Amino acid sequence: MTAVIAASHLSKWYGNVLGLNDVSLEIEEGITGLLGPNGAGKSTFMKLITGQMKPAIGSVTVRGRKAWNDPDVYQGIGFCPEQDVFYEDVTGWEFVTGLLRFYGYSRTEIRERAARALDVVDLTADKDRLIRGYSRGMRQRVKFAQTIAHDPDILILDEPLSGLDPLGKRKLIKLIKDFKKQGRTVLVSSHVLPEIEALTSRVVLIHQGKILAQGDIPFIRELIEAHPHQISVRSSDPRALAARFVGDRSIHKMTFGADGRTLVVETHKRDAFFSRLTGVVIEAGIAVEEISSPDDNLQAVFEYLVGK
Amino acid sequence: MTGANAVRQVFGFFSFLGRKTGKTRVFAILGLIPVALAVIVRIVLHGRGGLMAAVFTEILMVFFLQFYIVILALFYGTSVTAEEIENRTLTYLITRPIPKPAIILGKSAAYAVLMFAMVGVSLALSYFIMNAARLSDPDLYGTFFRYLGVLGLGILAYTAFFTFLGAVLKRAIIVGMIFGFGWENVIQYFPGSTQKLSIVHYLKSLLPYHPPSVGGGGGRGVALLLFRLEPTTPLAAILILAAVTAGLLALACWLFRVKEYLYED
Repeated sequence: MTAVIAASHLSKWYGNVLGLNDVSLEIEEGITGLLGPNGAGKSTFMKLITGQMKPAIGSVTVRGRKAWNDPDVYQGIGFCPEQDVFYEDVTGWEFVTGLLRFYGYSRTEIRERAARALDVVDLTADKDRLIRGYSRGMRQRVKFAQTIAHDPDILILDEPLSGLDPLGKRKLIKLIKDFKKQGRTVLVSSHVLPEIEALTSRVVLIHQGKILAQGDIPFIRELIEAHPHQISVRSSDPRALAARFVGDRSIHKMTFGADGRTLVVETHKRDAFFSRLTGVVIEAGIAVEEISSPDDNLQAVFEYLVGK
Repeated sequence: MTGANAVRQVFGFFSFLGRKTGKTRVFAILGLIPVALAVIVRIVLHGRGGLMAAVFTEILMVFFLQFYIVILALFYGTSVTAEEIENRTLTYLITRPIPKPAIILGKSAAYAVLMFAMVGVSLALSYFIMNAARLSDPDLYGTFFRYLGVLGLGILAYTAFFTFLGAVLKRAIIVGMIFGFGWENVIQYFPGSTQKLSIVHYLKSLLPYHPPSVGGGGGRGVALLLFRLEPTTPLAAILILAAVTAGLLALACWLFRVKEYLYED
Protein backbone atom coordinates (compact mmCIF):
# COMPACT_ATOMS: atom_id res chain seq x y z
CA MET A 1 0.00 0.00 0.00
CA THR A 2 1.31 3.49 -0.87
CA ALA A 3 2.10 5.86 1.97
CA VAL A 4 -0.26 8.82 2.13
CA ILE A 5 1.97 10.65 4.59
CA ALA A 6 5.70 10.03 4.67
CA ALA A 7 8.26 11.45 7.06
CA SER A 8 11.92 10.93 6.39
CA HIS A 9 14.54 11.65 9.06
CA LEU A 10 12.26 14.38 10.30
CA SER A 11 13.58 16.55 13.12
CA LYS A 12 12.32 19.73 14.68
CA TRP A 13 13.75 21.94 17.42
CA TYR A 14 12.19 24.75 19.41
CA GLY A 15 15.32 26.73 20.15
CA ASN A 16 17.35 24.27 22.21
CA VAL A 17 14.39 22.01 22.91
CA LEU A 18 14.00 18.97 20.74
CA GLY A 19 10.45 18.56 19.45
CA LEU A 20 10.97 15.67 17.07
CA ASN A 21 14.09 13.59 16.55
CA ASP A 22 14.92 11.75 13.32
CA VAL A 23 11.44 10.42 12.68
CA SER A 24 10.98 8.23 9.65
CA LEU A 25 7.46 6.99 9.28
CA GLU A 26 4.93 6.07 6.63
CA ILE A 27 1.22 6.43 7.23
CA GLU A 28 -1.15 4.55 5.01
CA GLU A 29 -4.88 4.73 4.37
CA GLY A 30 -7.08 3.87 7.32
CA ILE A 31 -6.76 4.98 10.91
CA THR A 32 -3.38 5.31 12.57
CA GLY A 33 -3.15 6.16 16.23
CA LEU A 34 -0.33 8.33 17.48
CA LEU A 35 0.09 7.43 21.11
CA GLY A 36 2.33 9.21 23.54
CA PRO A 37 2.36 11.15 26.79
CA ASN A 38 1.94 14.92 26.83
CA GLY A 39 4.94 16.65 25.30
CA ALA A 40 5.99 13.54 23.38
CA GLY A 41 6.02 15.30 20.00
CA LYS A 42 2.60 14.26 18.69
CA SER A 43 1.40 17.82 18.06
CA THR A 44 4.74 18.80 16.53
CA PHE A 45 4.49 15.91 14.10
CA MET A 46 0.94 16.91 13.18
CA LYS A 47 1.91 20.55 12.71
CA LEU A 48 4.67 19.50 10.36
CA ILE A 49 2.25 17.37 8.34
CA THR A 50 -0.24 20.23 8.07
CA GLY A 51 2.42 22.72 7.00
CA GLN A 52 2.27 24.87 10.11
CA MET A 53 5.94 24.22 10.77
CA LYS A 54 9.00 23.83 8.64
CA PRO A 55 11.17 20.76 9.27
CA ALA A 56 14.60 21.57 10.71
CA ILE A 57 16.04 18.42 9.14
CA GLY A 58 14.43 15.85 6.88
CA SER A 59 11.14 16.07 5.09
CA VAL A 60 7.47 15.31 5.40
CA THR A 61 5.29 14.74 2.36
CA VAL A 62 1.58 14.35 1.88
CA ARG A 63 0.73 12.32 -1.21
CA GLY A 64 4.26 12.92 -2.41
CA ARG A 65 4.19 16.72 -1.98
CA LYS A 66 6.12 18.62 0.65
CA ALA A 67 3.74 20.02 3.22
CA TRP A 68 5.45 23.31 4.07
CA ASN A 69 4.06 26.31 2.16
CA ASP A 70 2.06 24.35 -0.40
CA PRO A 71 -1.59 25.47 -0.17
CA ASP A 72 -2.68 22.83 -2.70
CA VAL A 73 -1.73 20.13 -0.20
CA TYR A 74 -4.08 21.61 2.41
CA GLN A 75 -7.12 21.29 0.13
CA GLY A 76 -7.35 17.61 1.01
CA ILE A 77 -6.45 17.85 4.70
CA GLY A 78 -8.78 18.45 7.60
CA PHE A 79 -6.97 19.44 10.78
CA CYS A 80 -8.48 19.43 14.24
CA PRO A 81 -6.10 21.24 16.59
CA GLU A 82 -5.65 20.23 20.18
CA GLN A 83 -6.01 23.72 21.61
CA ASP A 84 -9.41 24.92 22.69
CA VAL A 85 -9.18 28.13 20.65
CA PHE A 86 -11.70 29.87 18.41
CA TYR A 87 -12.80 33.20 17.05
CA GLU A 88 -14.93 33.60 20.13
CA ASP A 89 -17.25 36.38 18.98
CA VAL A 90 -18.86 34.37 16.22
CA THR A 91 -21.51 31.69 16.21
CA GLY A 92 -20.79 28.07 15.36
CA TRP A 93 -22.44 28.62 11.99
CA GLU A 94 -20.36 31.72 11.25
CA PHE A 95 -17.19 29.93 12.29
CA VAL A 96 -17.72 26.96 9.98
CA THR A 97 -19.05 28.98 7.02
CA GLY A 98 -16.28 31.56 7.47
CA LEU A 99 -13.54 28.96 7.22
CA LEU A 100 -15.26 27.26 4.28
CA ARG A 101 -14.82 30.47 2.29
CA PHE A 102 -11.16 29.58 1.87
CA TYR A 103 -11.92 26.59 -0.33
CA GLY A 104 -13.42 28.48 -3.23
CA TYR A 105 -16.97 27.18 -2.84
CA SER A 106 -20.05 29.11 -3.89
CA ARG A 107 -22.22 30.64 -1.17
CA THR A 108 -24.83 27.93 -1.63
CA GLU A 109 -22.23 25.20 -1.35
CA ILE A 110 -20.72 26.80 1.74
CA ARG A 111 -24.13 26.83 3.42
CA GLU A 112 -24.86 23.23 2.42
CA ARG A 113 -21.48 21.96 3.61
CA ALA A 114 -21.65 23.87 6.90
CA ALA A 115 -25.18 22.61 7.57
CA ARG A 116 -24.08 19.04 6.86
CA ALA A 117 -20.97 19.24 9.06
CA LEU A 118 -22.84 20.81 11.97
CA ASP A 119 -25.55 18.20 11.62
CA VAL A 120 -22.97 15.41 11.75
CA VAL A 121 -21.67 16.72 15.09
CA ASP A 122 -25.18 17.38 16.43
CA LEU A 123 -24.82 21.13 16.63
CA THR A 124 -27.62 22.18 14.28
CA ALA A 125 -29.81 23.34 17.15
CA ASP A 126 -27.02 25.44 18.67
CA LYS A 127 -25.42 26.72 15.49
CA ASP A 128 -26.61 30.29 16.02
CA ARG A 129 -25.19 30.59 19.53
CA LEU A 130 -21.88 32.35 20.11
CA ILE A 131 -18.97 29.94 20.45
CA ARG A 132 -18.02 31.89 23.60
CA GLY A 133 -21.12 30.38 25.24
CA TYR A 134 -20.51 26.78 24.11
CA SER A 135 -19.69 24.03 26.58
CA ARG A 136 -16.32 22.27 26.28
CA GLY A 137 -17.92 19.36 24.47
CA MET A 138 -19.72 21.66 22.02
CA ARG A 139 -16.49 23.51 21.32
CA GLN A 140 -14.77 20.24 20.60
CA ARG A 141 -17.60 19.28 18.26
CA VAL A 142 -17.60 22.57 16.33
CA LYS A 143 -13.85 22.15 15.95
CA PHE A 144 -14.48 18.76 14.45
CA ALA A 145 -17.17 20.23 12.18
CA GLN A 146 -14.67 22.67 10.64
CA THR A 147 -12.30 19.72 10.17
CA ILE A 148 -14.70 17.69 8.06
CA ALA A 149 -16.78 20.43 6.41
CA HIS A 150 -14.70 20.51 3.22
CA ASP A 151 -14.79 16.73 2.91
CA PRO A 152 -11.05 16.09 3.19
CA ASP A 153 -9.57 12.70 2.38
CA ILE A 154 -6.94 13.07 5.10
CA LEU A 155 -7.92 13.86 8.68
CA ILE A 156 -5.30 14.93 11.18
CA LEU A 157 -6.90 14.90 14.61
CA ASP A 158 -4.92 16.13 17.59
CA GLU A 159 -6.51 14.77 20.77
CA PRO A 160 -10.03 14.99 19.29
CA LEU A 161 -11.68 13.08 22.13
CA SER A 162 -10.47 15.27 24.96
CA GLY A 163 -13.24 17.20 26.65
CA LEU A 164 -16.02 15.02 25.26
CA ASP A 165 -18.47 13.19 27.47
CA PRO A 166 -18.69 9.39 27.05
CA LEU A 167 -21.61 9.68 24.64
CA GLY A 168 -19.82 12.33 22.58
CA LYS A 169 -16.70 10.19 22.54
CA ARG A 170 -18.62 7.18 21.32
CA LYS A 171 -20.25 9.20 18.57
CA LEU A 172 -16.99 10.72 17.42
CA ILE A 173 -15.27 7.34 17.44
CA LYS A 174 -18.04 6.01 15.21
CA LEU A 175 -17.66 9.01 12.90
CA ILE A 176 -13.92 8.54 12.59
CA LYS A 177 -14.42 4.87 11.86
CA ASP A 178 -16.92 5.81 9.14
CA PHE A 179 -14.21 7.94 7.53
CA LYS A 180 -11.99 4.88 7.43
CA LYS A 181 -14.74 2.90 5.72
CA GLN A 182 -14.86 5.59 3.03
CA GLY A 183 -11.20 4.87 2.25
CA ARG A 184 -9.82 7.98 3.91
CA THR A 185 -6.69 8.40 5.93
CA VAL A 186 -6.97 9.38 9.58
CA LEU A 187 -4.10 10.18 11.91
CA VAL A 188 -5.37 10.58 15.44
CA SER A 189 -3.33 11.39 18.51
CA SER A 190 -4.03 10.65 22.13
CA HIS A 191 -2.23 10.01 25.39
CA VAL A 192 -4.93 7.57 26.45
CA LEU A 193 -4.46 4.01 25.19
CA PRO A 194 -8.12 2.90 25.43
CA GLU A 195 -9.13 5.87 23.25
CA ILE A 196 -6.74 4.80 20.52
CA GLU A 197 -7.67 1.18 21.04
CA ALA A 198 -11.31 2.03 20.40
CA LEU A 199 -10.38 3.60 17.08
CA THR A 200 -7.75 1.45 15.52
CA SER A 201 -5.38 -1.45 15.93
CA ARG A 202 -2.57 0.39 14.14
CA VAL A 203 -0.52 2.40 16.59
CA VAL A 204 2.65 4.47 16.60
CA LEU A 205 4.24 5.03 20.01
CA ILE A 206 6.01 8.34 20.32
CA HIS A 207 8.01 9.63 23.26
CA GLN A 208 10.51 12.45 23.71
CA GLY A 209 10.35 13.20 19.99
CA LYS A 210 11.23 9.67 18.93
CA ILE A 211 9.18 6.84 17.51
CA LEU A 212 9.55 4.12 20.13
CA ALA A 213 7.57 1.44 18.43
CA GLN A 214 4.91 0.94 15.84
CA GLY A 215 2.60 -1.92 15.14
CA ASP A 216 -0.81 -3.20 15.98
CA ILE A 217 -2.44 -3.03 19.40
CA PRO A 218 -1.57 -6.63 20.45
CA PHE A 219 2.07 -5.84 19.76
CA ILE A 220 1.87 -2.69 21.88
CA ARG A 221 -0.01 -4.64 24.55
CA GLU A 222 2.83 -7.15 24.64
CA LEU A 223 5.28 -4.34 25.20
CA ILE A 224 3.11 -3.04 27.97
CA GLU A 225 2.71 -6.50 29.49
CA ALA A 226 6.50 -6.78 29.63
CA HIS A 227 6.49 -3.84 32.00
CA PRO A 228 5.72 -4.90 35.61
CA HIS A 229 2.64 -3.11 36.89
CA GLN A 230 2.14 -2.00 40.46
CA ILE A 231 -1.33 -2.62 41.80
CA SER A 232 -2.36 -1.46 45.23
CA VAL A 233 -5.26 -3.22 46.96
CA ARG A 234 -6.63 -1.86 50.25
CA SER A 235 -8.67 -4.46 52.03
CA SER A 236 -9.84 -5.76 55.40
CA ASP A 237 -7.15 -8.49 55.46
CA PRO A 238 -4.16 -7.83 53.18
CA ARG A 239 -2.11 -10.70 54.62
CA ALA A 240 -4.82 -13.26 53.85
CA LEU A 241 -5.04 -11.83 50.38
CA ALA A 242 -1.27 -12.07 49.94
CA ALA A 243 -1.29 -15.70 51.10
CA ARG A 244 -3.65 -16.57 48.25
CA PHE A 245 -1.26 -15.13 45.68
CA VAL A 246 2.05 -16.45 47.01
CA GLY A 247 2.19 -19.33 44.54
CA ASP A 248 1.20 -17.19 41.55
CA ARG A 249 4.14 -17.08 39.13
CA SER A 250 2.86 -13.95 37.42
CA ILE A 251 3.40 -12.03 40.65
CA HIS A 252 6.81 -10.48 40.73
CA LYS A 253 6.78 -8.95 44.19
CA MET A 254 4.37 -8.23 47.06
CA THR A 255 4.78 -5.67 49.82
CA PHE A 256 2.54 -4.36 52.59
CA GLY A 257 1.69 -0.74 52.96
CA ALA A 258 2.56 1.22 56.11
CA ASP A 259 -1.14 1.52 57.00
CA GLY A 260 -1.37 -2.23 57.48
CA ARG A 261 -4.37 -2.45 55.19
CA THR A 262 -2.71 -2.23 51.80
CA LEU A 263 -1.12 -4.91 49.68
CA VAL A 264 1.05 -3.69 46.81
CA VAL A 265 1.53 -6.24 44.07
CA GLU A 266 3.94 -6.09 41.17
CA THR A 267 2.90 -8.21 38.21
CA HIS A 268 3.65 -8.59 34.54
CA LYS A 269 0.15 -9.84 33.87
CA ARG A 270 -2.17 -7.16 35.08
CA ASP A 271 -5.34 -8.51 33.43
CA ALA A 272 -4.75 -12.02 34.78
CA PHE A 273 -4.22 -10.65 38.27
CA PHE A 274 -7.45 -8.67 38.18
CA SER A 275 -9.48 -11.66 37.00
CA ARG A 276 -8.01 -13.86 39.74
CA LEU A 277 -8.43 -11.17 42.37
CA THR A 278 -12.19 -11.13 41.86
CA GLY A 279 -12.48 -14.85 42.62
CA VAL A 280 -10.10 -14.70 45.56
CA VAL A 281 -11.88 -11.89 47.40
CA ILE A 282 -15.22 -13.65 46.97
CA GLU A 283 -13.84 -17.02 48.10
CA ALA A 284 -12.00 -15.67 51.13
CA GLY A 285 -14.66 -13.13 52.04
CA ILE A 286 -12.17 -10.26 52.05
CA ALA A 287 -13.67 -6.79 51.87
CA VAL A 288 -11.82 -4.75 49.25
CA GLU A 289 -11.93 -1.01 49.91
CA GLU A 290 -9.87 0.32 47.04
CA ILE A 291 -7.86 -0.89 44.07
CA SER A 292 -5.43 1.48 42.38
CA SER A 293 -2.50 1.20 40.03
CA PRO A 294 0.04 3.81 41.02
CA ASP A 295 2.11 3.38 37.88
CA ASP A 296 -0.55 2.14 35.55
CA ASN A 297 -0.35 4.93 33.08
CA LEU A 298 1.17 5.39 29.71
CA GLN A 299 3.92 7.59 31.06
CA ALA A 300 5.23 4.70 33.21
CA VAL A 301 5.13 2.35 30.26
CA PHE A 302 6.94 4.86 28.09
CA GLU A 303 9.56 5.46 30.72
CA TYR A 304 10.03 1.73 30.98
CA LEU A 305 10.39 1.41 27.19
CA VAL A 306 12.83 4.28 27.01
CA GLY A 307 14.90 2.86 29.83
CA LYS A 308 14.87 -0.65 28.33
CA MET B 1 -8.05 29.13 -5.41
CA THR B 2 -6.38 32.07 -7.16
CA GLY B 3 -4.45 34.62 -5.12
CA ALA B 4 -6.95 37.41 -5.83
CA ASN B 5 -9.91 35.25 -4.88
CA ALA B 6 -8.11 34.17 -1.71
CA VAL B 7 -7.48 37.81 -0.77
CA ARG B 8 -11.17 38.55 -1.38
CA GLN B 9 -12.29 35.67 0.83
CA VAL B 10 -9.91 36.65 3.65
CA PHE B 11 -11.09 40.23 3.29
CA GLY B 12 -14.72 39.12 3.62
CA PHE B 13 -14.01 36.92 6.62
CA PHE B 14 -12.13 39.59 8.56
CA SER B 15 -14.47 42.41 7.55
CA PHE B 16 -17.12 40.40 9.32
CA LEU B 17 -14.97 39.40 12.30
CA GLY B 18 -13.51 42.89 12.67
CA ARG B 19 -16.94 44.44 13.09
CA LYS B 20 -17.79 42.09 15.93
CA THR B 21 -14.77 42.64 18.17
CA GLY B 22 -14.75 44.70 21.36
CA LYS B 23 -11.72 46.57 20.00
CA THR B 24 -13.84 48.03 17.22
CA ARG B 25 -16.47 49.21 19.67
CA VAL B 26 -13.84 50.93 21.82
CA PHE B 27 -12.23 52.69 18.88
CA ALA B 28 -15.58 53.71 17.44
CA ILE B 29 -16.37 55.35 20.78
CA LEU B 30 -12.97 57.07 20.66
CA GLY B 31 -14.07 58.53 17.33
CA LEU B 32 -16.84 60.38 19.16
CA ILE B 33 -14.28 62.63 20.89
CA PRO B 34 -13.84 64.98 17.91
CA VAL B 35 -17.61 64.97 17.40
CA ALA B 36 -18.12 66.08 20.99
CA LEU B 37 -15.38 68.68 20.57
CA ALA B 38 -17.05 69.93 17.40
CA VAL B 39 -20.34 70.36 19.23
CA ILE B 40 -18.61 72.32 22.00
CA VAL B 41 -16.66 74.51 19.58
CA ARG B 42 -19.81 75.13 17.56
CA ILE B 43 -21.62 76.36 20.66
CA VAL B 44 -18.71 78.47 21.91
CA LEU B 45 -17.70 80.04 18.58
CA HIS B 46 -21.18 80.36 17.11
CA GLY B 47 -21.22 82.80 14.14
CA ARG B 48 -17.44 83.00 13.56
CA GLY B 49 -17.21 80.59 10.59
CA GLY B 50 -13.70 81.45 9.33
CA LEU B 51 -12.10 80.93 12.69
CA MET B 52 -14.06 77.75 13.11
CA ALA B 53 -12.59 76.23 9.93
CA ALA B 54 -9.10 77.15 11.06
CA VAL B 55 -9.67 75.72 14.51
CA PHE B 56 -10.97 72.56 12.94
CA THR B 57 -7.95 72.15 10.74
CA GLU B 58 -5.46 72.96 13.41
CA ILE B 59 -6.91 71.05 16.32
CA LEU B 60 -9.18 68.35 15.10
CA MET B 61 -6.95 67.34 12.20
CA VAL B 62 -4.12 67.01 14.69
CA PHE B 63 -6.33 64.59 16.63
CA PHE B 64 -7.16 62.63 13.49
CA LEU B 65 -3.74 62.71 11.90
CA GLN B 66 -1.43 62.33 14.84
CA PHE B 67 -3.54 60.32 17.22
CA TYR B 68 -6.67 58.62 15.89
CA ILE B 69 -5.38 57.07 12.68
CA VAL B 70 -2.04 56.22 14.31
CA ILE B 71 -3.61 54.40 17.25
CA LEU B 72 -6.14 52.67 15.01
CA ALA B 73 -3.45 51.51 12.59
CA LEU B 74 -1.19 50.51 15.48
CA PHE B 75 -3.78 48.23 17.05
CA TYR B 76 -5.32 46.87 13.86
CA GLY B 77 -2.08 46.66 11.86
CA THR B 78 -0.03 44.80 14.46
CA SER B 79 -2.99 42.54 15.16
CA VAL B 80 -3.04 41.23 11.59
CA THR B 81 -0.45 38.68 12.68
CA ALA B 82 -0.15 39.15 16.45
CA GLU B 83 -3.77 38.47 17.42
CA GLU B 84 -3.75 35.22 15.44
CA ILE B 85 -0.65 34.11 17.33
CA GLU B 86 -1.79 35.31 20.75
CA ASN B 87 -5.23 33.73 20.30
CA ARG B 88 -3.68 30.68 18.61
CA THR B 89 -6.18 30.98 15.77
CA LEU B 90 -3.43 31.19 13.16
CA THR B 91 -3.79 27.41 12.85
CA TYR B 92 -7.23 27.85 11.29
CA LEU B 93 -5.85 30.15 8.61
CA ILE B 94 -2.56 28.60 7.59
CA THR B 95 -3.99 25.11 7.22
CA ARG B 96 -6.34 26.34 4.47
CA PRO B 97 -5.57 26.09 0.77
CA ILE B 98 -4.78 29.77 0.38
CA PRO B 99 -1.42 31.46 -0.19
CA LYS B 100 -0.07 32.94 3.05
CA PRO B 101 0.34 36.45 1.57
CA ALA B 102 -3.42 36.45 0.92
CA ILE B 103 -3.95 36.35 4.68
CA ILE B 104 -1.84 39.46 5.20
CA LEU B 105 -3.32 41.36 2.27
CA GLY B 106 -6.93 40.38 2.87
CA LYS B 107 -6.87 40.94 6.61
CA SER B 108 -5.00 44.25 6.50
CA ALA B 109 -7.33 45.46 3.73
CA ALA B 110 -10.38 44.48 5.78
CA TYR B 111 -9.04 46.32 8.80
CA ALA B 112 -8.06 49.35 6.70
CA VAL B 113 -11.63 49.60 5.39
CA LEU B 114 -12.98 49.25 8.92
CA MET B 115 -10.66 52.01 10.17
CA PHE B 116 -11.53 54.21 7.22
CA ALA B 117 -15.22 53.81 8.02
CA MET B 118 -14.67 54.79 11.65
CA VAL B 119 -12.48 57.76 10.73
CA GLY B 120 -14.82 58.81 7.91
CA VAL B 121 -17.91 58.86 10.11
CA SER B 122 -16.10 60.71 12.88
CA LEU B 123 -14.59 63.24 10.46
CA ALA B 124 -17.85 63.82 8.60
CA LEU B 125 -19.85 64.39 11.78
CA SER B 126 -17.33 66.70 13.43
CA TYR B 127 -16.56 68.62 10.22
CA PHE B 128 -20.12 69.27 9.21
CA ILE B 129 -21.24 70.09 12.74
CA MET B 130 -18.58 72.78 12.89
CA ASN B 131 -19.35 74.08 9.45
CA ALA B 132 -23.13 73.73 9.58
CA ALA B 133 -23.54 77.40 8.70
CA ARG B 134 -21.68 76.96 5.38
CA LEU B 135 -23.33 73.83 4.04
CA SER B 136 -24.17 75.60 0.76
CA ASP B 137 -20.50 76.49 0.16
CA PRO B 138 -19.04 74.08 -2.47
CA ASP B 139 -15.48 74.65 -1.13
CA LEU B 140 -16.57 73.06 2.12
CA TYR B 141 -17.02 69.69 0.42
CA GLY B 142 -13.76 69.94 -1.53
CA THR B 143 -11.83 70.50 1.71
CA PHE B 144 -13.71 67.69 3.42
CA PHE B 145 -12.80 65.19 0.73
CA ARG B 146 -9.21 66.37 0.81
CA TYR B 147 -9.07 65.74 4.55
CA LEU B 148 -10.71 62.37 4.05
CA GLY B 149 -8.25 61.44 1.30
CA VAL B 150 -5.26 62.42 3.43
CA LEU B 151 -6.54 60.39 6.36
CA GLY B 152 -7.23 57.46 4.01
CA LEU B 153 -3.66 57.56 2.74
CA GLY B 154 -2.47 57.82 6.33
CA ILE B 155 -4.47 54.77 7.33
CA LEU B 156 -2.99 52.78 4.45
CA ALA B 157 0.61 53.81 5.12
CA TYR B 158 0.45 53.33 8.89
CA THR B 159 -1.43 50.04 8.56
CA ALA B 160 1.20 48.74 6.17
CA PHE B 161 3.96 49.82 8.55
CA PHE B 162 2.37 48.25 11.62
CA THR B 163 1.38 45.10 9.71
CA PHE B 164 5.02 44.73 8.76
CA LEU B 165 6.07 45.35 12.34
CA GLY B 166 3.59 42.73 13.57
CA ALA B 167 4.98 40.19 11.10
CA VAL B 168 8.54 40.83 12.30
CA LEU B 169 8.24 41.28 16.06
CA LYS B 170 6.50 39.40 18.86
CA ARG B 171 5.83 42.55 20.91
CA ALA B 172 5.20 44.84 17.99
CA ILE B 173 2.78 47.08 19.86
CA ILE B 174 5.48 48.59 22.10
CA VAL B 175 7.84 49.33 19.22
CA GLY B 176 4.83 50.60 17.28
CA MET B 177 3.90 53.03 20.04
CA ILE B 178 7.44 54.37 20.17
CA PHE B 179 7.33 54.86 16.41
CA GLY B 180 3.81 56.26 16.18
CA PHE B 181 3.86 58.60 19.13
CA GLY B 182 7.59 59.16 19.54
CA TRP B 183 9.44 59.12 16.28
CA GLU B 184 6.57 60.48 14.17
CA ASN B 185 5.82 63.29 16.61
CA VAL B 186 9.42 64.42 16.94
CA ILE B 187 11.14 63.79 13.64
CA GLN B 188 8.59 65.76 11.61
CA TYR B 189 9.83 68.97 13.23
CA PHE B 190 13.47 68.34 12.36
CA PRO B 191 14.69 70.70 9.65
CA GLY B 192 16.20 69.57 6.37
CA SER B 193 15.61 66.11 4.97
CA THR B 194 15.34 64.36 8.38
CA GLN B 195 11.63 65.26 8.63
CA LYS B 196 11.08 63.25 5.45
CA LEU B 197 11.77 60.07 7.41
CA SER B 198 8.31 60.32 8.95
CA ILE B 199 5.01 59.30 7.37
CA VAL B 200 3.20 62.25 8.88
CA HIS B 201 5.43 64.68 6.96
CA TYR B 202 3.96 63.49 3.66
CA LEU B 203 0.43 63.51 5.03
CA LYS B 204 0.78 67.09 6.28
CA SER B 205 2.21 68.07 2.91
CA LEU B 206 -1.14 67.15 1.38
CA LEU B 207 -3.29 69.19 3.75
CA PRO B 208 -4.66 72.58 2.82
CA TYR B 209 -2.37 75.01 4.56
CA HIS B 210 -3.86 77.82 6.61
CA PRO B 211 -1.19 80.39 7.40
CA PRO B 212 -1.41 81.72 10.95
CA SER B 213 -3.07 84.96 9.70
CA VAL B 214 -6.23 83.09 8.58
CA GLY B 215 -9.02 83.66 11.02
CA GLY B 216 -7.34 86.66 12.53
CA GLY B 217 -5.20 86.69 15.64
CA GLY B 218 -7.03 83.69 17.10
CA GLY B 219 -5.71 81.37 14.40
CA ARG B 220 -2.07 82.24 14.94
CA GLY B 221 -1.43 80.14 18.00
CA VAL B 222 -3.19 76.96 16.90
CA ALA B 223 -1.53 76.99 13.47
CA LEU B 224 1.64 75.82 15.17
CA LEU B 225 -0.01 72.47 15.81
CA LEU B 226 0.11 71.66 12.12
CA PHE B 227 3.38 73.40 11.57
CA ARG B 228 5.12 72.36 8.38
CA LEU B 229 8.78 73.04 7.77
CA GLU B 230 9.47 72.17 4.14
CA PRO B 231 6.45 70.41 2.61
CA THR B 232 6.96 67.88 -0.14
CA THR B 233 4.99 68.51 -3.36
CA PRO B 234 1.58 66.79 -3.34
CA LEU B 235 2.39 64.42 -6.22
CA ALA B 236 5.69 63.35 -4.65
CA ALA B 237 3.98 62.93 -1.27
CA ILE B 238 1.29 60.68 -2.76
CA LEU B 239 3.86 58.61 -4.66
CA ILE B 240 6.05 58.19 -1.60
CA LEU B 241 3.09 57.20 0.59
CA ALA B 242 1.97 54.69 -2.05
CA ALA B 243 5.49 53.28 -2.32
CA VAL B 244 5.81 53.01 1.47
CA THR B 245 2.45 51.20 1.67
CA ALA B 246 3.19 48.79 -1.17
CA GLY B 247 6.77 48.14 -0.10
CA LEU B 248 5.97 47.44 3.54
CA LEU B 249 3.01 45.21 2.66
CA ALA B 250 5.17 43.26 0.21
CA LEU B 251 7.80 42.81 2.93
CA ALA B 252 5.16 41.73 5.44
CA CYS B 253 3.77 39.18 2.95
CA TRP B 254 7.21 37.79 2.21
CA LEU B 255 8.07 37.49 5.90
CA PHE B 256 4.75 35.87 6.75
CA ARG B 257 5.35 33.32 4.00
CA VAL B 258 8.86 32.30 5.01
CA LYS B 259 8.68 32.76 8.77
CA GLU B 260 7.45 30.09 11.14
CA TYR B 261 5.16 31.41 13.85
CA LEU B 262 5.20 29.42 17.06
CA TYR B 263 2.82 29.72 19.95
CA GLU B 264 4.23 30.70 23.32
CA ASP B 265 4.48 27.26 24.96
